[in-house]
Amino acid sequence: MGIYRFISEHLYFNRPDMVIKGERFNSAILLSLLTGLKKGKELIIGEPGLGKTTSAEYVCSLIYQFPLGVIWGSEVSGHPEQTEEKIIGRPDLGKLNRGEEDVVWTNFSQIPVKIVDEINRLPETKQSMILDGVDRGNWEYLNEMIINEEYCLFATANYQDGGTNTIIAPLVDRFDVMVESRHPGANLSFLVGKDKRKDHILRHPKYEKDLYHVLKSKVPYEKKTPKIEEVCNAYGEYLDEAIGVKSFQRQDRDQIRSEMERLELDLDASAFTRMLLAELSFCEWYGQKRIVENCEEGCHYTGYLCRQIKNCASNRLPSSIKQYAQGLAWLLEDSEIDIEHISAVVPYALGHRIQWKDEILSQKERSKRDDPFPIFLAKEAVKAVSQRYREQSEHLKDALAVGSKIFLGGDLEPLEGDHPIYVEVKKDIDARRS
Amino acid sequence: MKSSTPPHKSSILPPNKENWITKNPFEEFKTFTASTPGLPMDQIVQSTEAVMDRIRWGYEKLLEEEAKELVWMVQYNTIIKAYEVAEKYVKEINYTAEDIEDFCFALENTQRIPYLIPGPAGIYLSALCNYANEEEMVLKLSELKTEINLVGFRLPKGKRLMIEGDTGDFTGIGLEGGELVIDGNAKNWTGAGMRGGKILIKKNIGLHTGEWMMGGEIYVGGRVRGLGNIVEGKVYEREKLLYPGKVRYPNIYY
Repeated sequence: MGIYRFISEHLYFNRPDMVIKGERFNSAILLSLLTGLKKGKELIIGEPGLGKTTSAEYVCSLIYQFPLGVIWGSEVSGHPEQTEEKIIGRPDLGKLNRGEEDVVWTNFSQIPVKIVDEINRLPETKQSMILDGVDRGNWEYLNEMIINEEYCLFATANYQDGGTNTIIAPLVDRFDVMVESRHPGANLSFLVGKDKRKDHILRHPKYEKDLYHVLKSKVPYEKKTPKIEEVCNAYGEYLDEAIGVKSFQRQDRDQIRSEMERLELDLDASAFTRMLLAELSFCEWYGQKRIVENCEEGCHYTGYLCRQIKNCASNRLPSSIKQYAQGLAWLLEDSEIDIEHISAVVPYALGHRIQWKDEILSQKERSKRDDPFPIFLAKEAVKAVSQRYREQSEHLKDALAVGSKIFLGGDLEPLEGDHPIYVEVKKDIDARRS
Repeated sequence: MKSSTPPHKSSILPPNKENWITKNPFEEFKTFTASTPGLPMDQIVQSTEAVMDRIRWGYEKLLEEEAKELVWMVQYNTIIKAYEVAEKYVKEINYTAEDIEDFCFALENTQRIPYLIPGPAGIYLSALCNYANEEEMVLKLSELKTEINLVGFRLPKGKRLMIEGDTGDFTGIGLEGGELVIDGNAKNWTGAGMRGGKILIKKNIGLHTGEWMMGGEIYVGGRVRGLGNIVEGKVYEREKLLYPGKVRYPNIYY
């Protein structure tokens, strides 16, 4: 929370735009913080010049103890001529002249903080290459490979204009969350313009030089890592002394992650998430949602999200929801993940993943709102599912409890109910019985 | 190089079918104590039934304790006494305006209420209305064969009671500042002893209207059959002020 407060008070001025358990947060800083801590992947969208990249840079600098100069030097900027050699690594030309093969790894592939500026200006093959690398933590070039044990990805994207490519659906799905870096309002914007030197708080030329020296040294990557951590820790101490912010060392981050991992969903959070997933994947007619199939006339389940969307929720969605809800619960010092944590993160995990039907888009595109359209639609969807959950939470938990008893061999009948989740429970029980 | 011997089936499949699906997808709910299965609508019906039982029980007690006197001797003292009994039972019940409406319907349409006596039924309905949380209530009495007496007894200030259908004798007596609207006819002694408030009768009204009324207004959309001895207050007939006016003697207006 100290880092959040420092960024919001000194570095990234913006209004709070989300309320969780009575506390107000700015979604861009909060989700970036969680992305850094949970080793996630975040897509930051917004108009040019509204702090998409800088918000990520500040968060990463404080969480991973890298001076801003090193982060800038390791960013990949999106442009159509971007190459694998500039993103991952290149042959060592000196050695190549001597007939030896060796790879010079880029800073991007070596440090845990991966920031891709304007990812939608990269061709799709390069987008895919980066996301593959981040998914696995492996970076391969020629016949060599380095493995990142710790990493997170921040990618920024402008809204569609003449110079942008699209981020195709399978690639978008790999991002855990999408958030908008918003205009802070005229008054805060005026302050941002006035205070041009705030970047210098996080600069440190000596440690930047030291880190560059380590990163370009020709020792194996595994031997570089402890040296990098050593310089980072020294920079962390400097931050503590100079600005009074306690940043995280590697062992702190590991400790935080293990504490987060221990947080489990309470029953309401679990049942609510199941209900949401059922609506995003269920099709009574065709067995599941598929983007190539349309809803049939006469379907009973017309009042649910499955009727409004084209595609099916991927398995990455529940994982993203749980990861970020865990992070949020830890940050708020709660002992369990509850329905409020889930409801807070779902719109950001869902917004970029759902493809709404055209009629829904045309119905709602002119609605009064504060959020970008995909996040607004996702928030509306969460509200609708929350309402349905409130109406039948006890019955649904009963149905799931009965499901568990049947699974353990109990001679019971699954409970009926008017929601796709009851059909899903029944299907699981039938699969068990057969 | 391709292996010449394919792997045995047994090395791919689990040893017994029981282990095929070992993961219980509902594991977390293992310890959740399932309540009695029931849909929310069933619960609503059950709770409405419980409230109706309480209301019915209060009415039966009133009949037991006060019916004899009320049936045979309608005097102000007996009415006050009966109202106090009704108040006692009504105060203990947590009900809504809808429950009062259900009770009105049940008065004639169920075997569970032994008999409808217009006096006690009106007193009890009045107590229910006066102690309801809602400020505005609508009672449909148009489908009852019997006209209920004493409806709107002591209706307090701030309450508005609308009756759809005709009412019997003593409608709105002792009114205490509330607004009583009768979308139909009312019989004799309407507004007797009222102290304040407003009674609107959309159709006609009987004899002794406003007997001993001490204040308030009575508006009649149809015709007034006869006025009582009015102490203070106003009576209008089709927007024309009837009292105070030229009518000097009770019950000889027509």
